[in-house]
Amino acid sequence: MKKKLLVGLLSAAMLSTMLTACGSDKKNAGTDESGKKELNVAALEGGYGKDMYNEVIKAFEEENPDVKVNLTISKSIEDEITPNMKAGKYPDLMVLGQGRAAGLTESLIKDKSIEDVSDVLDMTVPGEDVKVKDKLIDGIVGNLNTNPYGDDKTYLMPMYYAPTGLVYDQHLLAENNWEVPATFDEFFKLGDEAKAKGIDLFTYPTAGYMDSYFFAILANVGGLDFYDDVMTYEKDIWKSDKAKEILDDTAKLLSQYTAKSTVGNANEQDFTKNQQSILDNKTIFMPNGTWIVGEMADAPRSDGFEWGLMPLPAVNEGDTRYITTSVESAWIPSEAKNIDLAKEFMAFLYSDKAAEIFAKSNAIQPITGITDKIEGETKAFYEIYNEEGVEALVGGFASTAPVEGVNIKETLFDSANSIISGDKTVEQWQEELNAASEKLSEAKE
Amino acid sequence: MKRNHSKRKKSNLRFIILCTAPALLAYIVFMIVPTINVFRMSLFKWSGFSANKQFVGLDNFKILLDDQNFIRAFQNTVLLLVVVTSVTIVLALLLAAIMSTSRAKGKNLYRFIIFIPNILSVVVIAAIFSAIYDQEHGLLNGLLNLLHLSSWKHMWLGDQKIIIFSVAAAMVWQSVGYYMVMYTSSIANVPDSLYESAALDGATQSKQFFSITLPLIWQNIRSSLTFYIISSINLSFVLIKAMTGGGPDGASEVLLSYMYKQAYTNSSYGYGMAIGVVIFLFSFLLSLIVNQVTKRETLQY
Repeated sequence: MKKKLLVGLLSAAMLSTMLTACGSDKKNAGTDESGKKELNVAALEGGYGKDMYNEVIKAFEEENPDVKVNLTISKSIEDEITPNMKAGKYPDLMVLGQGRAAGLTESLIKDKSIEDVSDVLDMTVPGEDVKVKDKLIDGIVGNLNTNPYGDDKTYLMPMYYAPTGLVYDQHLLAENNWEVPATFDEFFKLGDEAKAKGIDLFTYPTAGYMDSYFFAILANVGGLDFYDDVMTYEKDIWKSDKAKEILDDTAKLLSQYTAKSTVGNANEQDFTKNQQSILDNKTIFMPNGTWIVGEMADAPRSDGFEWGLMPLPAVNEGDTRYITTSVESAWIPSEAKNIDLAKEFMAFLYSDKAAEIFAKSNAIQPITGITDKIEGETKAFYEIYNEEGVEALVGGFASTAPVEGVNIKETLFDSANSIISGDKTVEQWQEELNAASEKLSEAKE
Repeated sequence: MKRNHSKRKKSNLRFIILCTAPALLAYIVFMIVPTINVFRMSLFKWSGFSANKQFVGLDNFKILLDDQNFIRAFQNTVLLLVVVTSVTIVLALLLAAIMSTSRAKGKNLYRFIIFIPNILSVVVIAAIFSAIYDQEHGLLNGLLNLLHLSSWKHMWLGDQKIIIFSVAAAMVWQSVGYYMVMYTSSIANVPDSLYESAALDGATQSKQFFSITLPLIWQNIRSSLTFYIISSINLSFVLIKAMTGGGPDGASEVLLSYMYKQAYTNSSYGYGMAIGVVIFLFSFLLSLIVNQVTKRETLQY
């Protein structure tokens, strides 16, 4: 009898430890034991590092002694927070942009699970007497990147912005007395001259990097209205003459002027080999952004190498050239527990104090006058906004309800691989884009 | 006395139930429930996060039939399954037969070397093969250069018609050692006397292999076929994720990687689960068919 009892007790103990192990997570309440309000912030640890977040949080806590901010930060932040999110525990504020492989921000946008933060724009920056919206650069809010549904409600606040364009070695061009091309004619002419020297004109790390190229060329050839039509899946937009012109020119660039080794290296494992070909002066241009400097900092390079960044050349001379600008976002999940406090913190992120801390780590916020404070190699990159006939372009495809099996970004960008290898014709490409655009248009409501 | 006996039986039963309960519970919680969930979720349209799940019946499966990318992923999976299994099984049997019959020196060293790839992480294998397949400085193209076979050179990971075979080669390299060891041990169980008497009767080595070895280890080969199916499906996913990312332009996409893409990066969780159901049924049915087709009378030694 005693034995039986023991066995029963033992297995009961085992069961209960098993069960409690599953459910012993700390309760996510708004306040902790000492009565302080708690704010949970999750951020992507990008190329800027994580120290700047710790400093900004410290500054915020100094001004708000009754608040304790918990920071979750990681290079793969999606993997760390999604299990909790699926269990209903959401962070109060996220700093995470679109265009990540995991697509968490996009998923929540598609779900309409992001809080409307339009009122943050009208809030006064803590400790200052300006409103948030008056500090921001013109045109940085109100595009599809901040207002993903194409209306006048802002859901994502722009955090750091960085120009992307074609990066190259300034020294290589100077050495050969080559001008930086401003039009596609000059671009191709340079390609012919370079080919004679055994240098290719163009490459890309992976096809995904072609986003910066495609957005810029769409706006350059068709103007901003056309660009918006493409991004919002206007009917038959890919069948238009302008779209055809863009695809034809791109196909010419890809099939005649792109390094043949590009496709074989355009994968997760080998993409740095494509980037290295720029450093080795085997290829002149590739689409990329300011982060490339840090990313390839330790890579060997040709003598005198100096990074340069240029906006995509104009297809037709005289048209405005665009710099696809990548913008990280700060946003609040609808399911967050402390939405008001999160909004306050959000406003604080635009204070001079915070901006200065961010800028020290080269994280440049879209705040008027901040570019004067940048120094070093980064400064050269941001100067391209001051070039004549050049404008910033923010945005990306409009969000729709998810459509199974359709991903227009993949159809647009990844096809570059097939164009180079000749596995797809321009007509097939156009047809596929049209079909994908059509399906997404239906899902847009 | 009798009463006592039945009481004992009863308490035995209770003890057995108590002992197996934790494991059974874990099995239900971690295996059965998730599997049922996969089937259930495949009937919903759900992004993976929101509380808003919409029941769509078999719609996800209807979309699958029209999805060219899915069909290509399916073809790639079947191709890998057939190529990898048939090449690996022949190589592994051959090596196993050689290892157990020949008296070559350093046999153990060879066995060790051939087995090593199996304990490597797949990510390491991806890195090794990306170095082998590199277009300019790669081992393979370098070797072809050396042999003056430049016309055979290819962009092993850039050519859409070749890439799936490049992946297959890496998978064969990884798994051949494992199956070789498995077959070697079953060959070792075949009594030497059989071979001795066969040799006295004048049977050649290859005759011995086909008439004695193969029939006697048939049961082992049969069960390893199921492993081939499971491991090809799983391994191809990890390898493709690390090595090609499904590219170029989807040319090396396999079922699991496509499922992952749809469920986690295209906000179509329900659709991804529908692909999961297809994979489950496919591997289940295939194993069943293979098992039935290869059924032979069990031979004893």
